[in-house]
Amino acid sequence: MQTSVAASFESLFVPLTNSAFGVAIRFTGNRSDAEDLVQEATLLAFRAFDSFEPGTNFKAWFFRILTNCYYSKRRREKSRPVTTDLDDTPDLYLYARSAETGFPTAGPDPAAQLFDKLGTERVVAAIERLPEEYRVVSTLYFMEDFSYQEISRVLECPVGTVRSRLHRGRKMLQKALWHVAQEHGLIAGTAEAIE
Amino acid sequence: MSDTLDRMTCESAFRRLDDFLDRQLSPEETRLVEEHLRICAACTLEFNFEASVLAGVRRKLRAIAAPPDLLARISAQLRGAADTHDHDAHDDDAHDHGPK
Repeated sequence: MQTSVAASFESLFVPLTNSAFGVAIRFTGNRSDAEDLVQEATLLAFRAFDSFEPGTNFKAWFFRILTNCYYSKRRREKSRPVTTDLDDTPDLYLYARSAETGFPTAGPDPAAQLFDKLGTERVVAAIERLPEEYRVVSTLYFMEDFSYQEISRVLECPVGTVRSRLHRGRKMLQKALWHVAQEHGLIAGTAEAIE
Repeated sequence: MSDTLDRMTCESAFRRLDDFLDRQLSPEETRLVEEHLRICAACTLEFNFEASVLAGVRRKLRAIAAPPDLLARISAQLRGAADTHDHDAHDDDAHDHGPK
């Protein structure tokens, strides 16, 4: 492959480096595996660069390769345990729990106080508890502002599937956030007591 | 919800909460939801809270940068891949143009 092609690939990839790493770390759960994933995906993308149509959405094209690469690696490894039962989470879970325990539910950014208490690492811990198909779609949504249509292209699945996974994943994430907050003593009471 | 007369409207708006926050509704549906939120304080609280949760998750998840040396390693890897490819291409050319 000509050096100019490598330069052309790099010019498109470099602005995505932080995004790619951010998504990879949410997929894999740790920095080391995330670095490996980004490197592997980048090499695969570079080798497949012939198939990229200039002028189309490079970001969606690259993240499709990154996501497929992640799934491929995952198939070779054991499944990560899901420690929280997130099925059947009711609507407005955090809203209801916040109201019950005295966290703000009104104002310009009512959940800000809860998120300040949680901090980045606990939010990450909560998203890692989601079952894989919900974690992947939620990560692409939260990290990259991809539209439903773009996520459907990245994951190669129908928009309706993206929508339903995203909506359900959000509900699960709210419950996971609350459980993480309780486990770290940020909120009084137990999950069972308030459900 | 604001009152019993508005109940169906509240339910209808609530069913569209996620799509509304993600700007996935048609302009007409968006207008109807916005109209409802202007007159329903309870739904406004719920919608604002959900928007705030989404913003909070987004803020926290994005607070991370790639390791400074990752890009350098990737660049080196790409150069290596390009060199290997060029070398293979040269070999192929030499083979193609060699004595038959």
